[in-house]
Amino acid sequence: MNNSIANQQIFKLDSEYLNSLLKKYSYESEIKKWDMGASSSRDLSVQVQQGNAKQLKGSQRNSMTLRVWNKYNQVGITTTSDLTSDGINKAMRGAIEASLFGNEKESPEFSPLAKSEIEEITSKISNPHSIDELLTILKNAEKQLLDTHQSIDSVPYNGLNETYIERIYINSEGANRHMKLSQSSIYLYAKAQEENKKPRSAGSIRIKSSIDELDIKSCINETSNKLISHLKYKSIDTKKYLVCFTPEAFLQLINAFSSMFNARSIIDGLSLMKEDSIGDQISVSNLDISDEGLHPENVGAFSFDGEGTPTQNIKLISKGILTNLLHSEATARKFGVKPTGHAGLGAKVSVSPDWLIVSNNGSENDKNESLNVKDTLNEFILIDELSAIHSGVKASQGSFSLPFDGWIVNDGKKTSIDAATVAGDILFVLKSIVKIENEQIVTHQGISPHVWVENMSITGEA
Amino acid sequence: MTNTLLTKQNQNLLFHIFDETLKPQIEELLYLGKSAGADLVEVFLEKSDNISLLAEQDDISNVSPSFGIGAGIRVFLGKKDGFVSTNDLSKAGLLFALNQALGMLGLVTGSKTNNKFEGLSDLSDFGKKKNAWLEFIPDLDESTLKLLEATKLLGDKNKNLQVRRASYSRNWQEVLVAASDGVFARDIRLHQTVGINVIAQKDNNRSTSARRYGSSDNPDDLRNWKIEKSANELNESAQKMLYAGYVEAGQMPVVLANKFGGVIFHEACGHLLETTQLERGTSPFHDSLDKQIAHEAVSAVDEGITNHAFGSISMDDEGMEPENTLLIENGILKKFLSDRAGSLRTGHPRTGSGRRQNFSYAAASRMRNTYIKQGNFSPDELIKSVDDGLYCKSMGGGSVGPTGQFNFSVEEGYLIKNGKLEKPVKGATLIGEAKEILPRISMCANDLDHAAGFCGSVSGSVNVTVGQPHIKVDSITVGGR
Repeated sequence: MNNSIANQQIFKLDSEYLNSLLKKYSYESEIKKWDMGASSSRDLSVQVQQGNAKQLKGSQRNSMTLRVWNKYNQVGITTTSDLTSDGINKAMRGAIEASLFGNEKESPEFSPLAKSEIEEITSKISNPHSIDELLTILKNAEKQLLDTHQSIDSVPYNGLNETYIERIYINSEGANRHMKLSQSSIYLYAKAQEENKKPRSAGSIRIKSSIDELDIKSCINETSNKLISHLKYKSIDTKKYLVCFTPEAFLQLINAFSSMFNARSIIDGLSLMKEDSIGDQISVSNLDISDEGLHPENVGAFSFDGEGTPTQNIKLISKGILTNLLHSEATARKFGVKPTGHAGLGAKVSVSPDWLIVSNNGSENDKNESLNVKDTLNEFILIDELSAIHSGVKASQGSFSLPFDGWIVNDGKKTSIDAATVAGDILFVLKSIVKIENEQIVTHQGISPHVWVENMSITGEA
Repeated sequence: MTNTLLTKQNQNLLFHIFDETLKPQIEELLYLGKSAGADLVEVFLEKSDNISLLAEQDDISNVSPSFGIGAGIRVFLGKKDGFVSTNDLSKAGLLFALNQALGMLGLVTGSKTNNKFEGLSDLSDFGKKKNAWLEFIPDLDESTLKLLEATKLLGDKNKNLQVRRASYSRNWQEVLVAASDGVFARDIRLHQTVGINVIAQKDNNRSTSARRYGSSDNPDDLRNWKIEKSANELNESAQKMLYAGYVEAGQMPVVLANKFGGVIFHEACGHLLETTQLERGTSPFHDSLDKQIAHEAVSAVDEGITNHAFGSISMDDEGMEPENTLLIENGILKKFLSDRAGSLRTGHPRTGSGRRQNFSYAAASRMRNTYIKQGNFSPDELIKSVDDGLYCKSMGGGSVGPTGQFNFSVEEGYLIKNGKLEKPVKGATLIGEAKEILPRISMCANDLDHAAGFCGSVSGSVNVTVGQPHIKVDSITVGGR
């Protein structure tokens, strides 16, 4: 049996059909203005354990968010997974009821760019694989990983998946956006233990448009190399250290504080920045940060946001200066700029980054030019991955205290750290950067070089 | 939609309750699965009707209703299982999902003739008395007024509360579980949460403070919310933390307050007692049954039965009534939490702990209301026993890693010097390993209390209660500056 997910034709979003239903129900309800975002996804995933299939999962899901404006220009929404005629009718009634509680002081409008020309993303739609093919690939990956070192005893967290996603946005003024893409990922998280030592773990992930593009070999090697390097570990002293963030870790940190660039958070008083912070020097001057959802390496890129606004590349920090913010229609209107393509869809519209890119603009020399993760002999802490970001970050205060995986490096020799936390303040971090390396490394959450920061507080074993 | 397998009186199931009339249609699916050679087939149907509200300062800024319907079909063959979820309940959609789940295990419908399916039992209807709950809960008018009352009260408490937010979330869920071993059960769940949070600002100092309250199966919960008490507690916390300095890092004794302090046990130990972790070989306690894993002062329970507690359930998501499970007695490990798949793969008996966020997840062994039992000391006696340490009055979230290392943040902390509470401190993170920390919980006070929370894991985010009395940990690493 071909049990791939491609032979399921039921889950195609039919924008004409949805449009006709919405026109009908809005007319019957005397609603003149509405918009709607819908998505459909099909997913197939496998997990394995010691050479056997563990859990095999598939899903096919639809969802729709409908937004209406009542005669007082109050906005109401309803979200549903039932895209039948009955379901959409119920959603219309729910949105109208919710609109009676819409915030008259701040009503969203249609994006002025919802019908503008859009940059076509040539998204690859991969050929689907059968469950057996997925299992074979993942079993081989698990075996190869286990074979790399005798101390690696299991890969307790692993998965290989293939997803097809389709999105549409339509509104009562004729906007009509539509896009599909496919995405595949593999993650391998392995465990190892040596006699009389604690168990250690490490992992890595790869995401591409198709399974055939996944660099599984490098995922295996990265997991294995990291894990082997964590087998011999030690406690470190609690003190201030020179720290080198890997690209993954630095992007984690910047993403955790992305409310700095978020116009919605700024308006709501939930950001470190204020409405007049544009133009402020917030980091060392050779740091640039941009959000580039359209970057070719961003395999999950959609060409429009929840309000139908085209996705745009936005420079956020240029030469250390806060240059632009991420906007929805409503925040852009308040700031007197155009929406940037980073909005969700709601009565109160959220804003979020797509794909952050960190770089050294070369505008001045790094404070410590000689630092390089490959050959620096000074003592430093190499932070590979931060944990517990949901609980250890106070985004509105700028502070963080986070456990991390990493190594202490002395004379070029890396030794894994038993357990430790790094604490600080994001503005202090941005202004204490002493080196931004030149090599840009692509990760699954953006692009960044290694970034060095001095005087970071690290808690090890006391 | 036509061609619908699951219908009632030829109308969309969205508008009707799940009941006995669905039995023949579900039995048809189960029969098809069994006759293909599956050991067991399970169908999980879910209908949801949710609303979330947000008040900011003195306005309602968001009203977001949502509703949906979906099914999860799980097929077992030996110790393997295939799971497919869909929100297409048409005949074609459900048959596609069943065939896909069977195909994952190499099975094909119609390939075998008979594999002993004796039909479903009579419906165990745990939701019978709950059918009218949606009518009893506060409507949008009443709910929004309640939130505005809260934000106004906070504004009246202190002018330096620059951000005042109150949120309300109501999740109503109707579920039906049917399996080829005869299980046929229905329930209605009602969960309500209220969250309030503030940012206080004076000069260049800022503090944030948040609280969440939650209940299950209590339509009057929002109505009975004691807003004044919550606002007082939140404001007091925000004001105290406004000028708090950063905690100095180190290894030290810690006293954890009751209620949400129980998150330490949830993260450090509870997750490691789920058969989900045993299956993966990631629990350090996998071979510790009937062995001492904690200080003898520690006895702990996970149960799903406390009236209106956030983690309580009438039945789990596999149709089993929840147990009151004694996990640890005087430091000795007594039992693991197990679901259907966990029981199959590890041999530990099911405990009514098979839970999932919704139809799109397969059930897994998950905690419900988990707490350390109270001891005989007063909270003051715990504080007095510490010369130099930290009192964690309010905890943030936490997590546990794949090999048992845990962490959680301290929202409101105070230094303890010579047995007395001193200045407030912020920025503390507690880190450790379950195996090392459990034996160091040396004192439990007599003031057990609970708090609502959400737990994210393999089967999604589920409602849980954490709890404990004040406890003392003799030594733990405190991350700070």
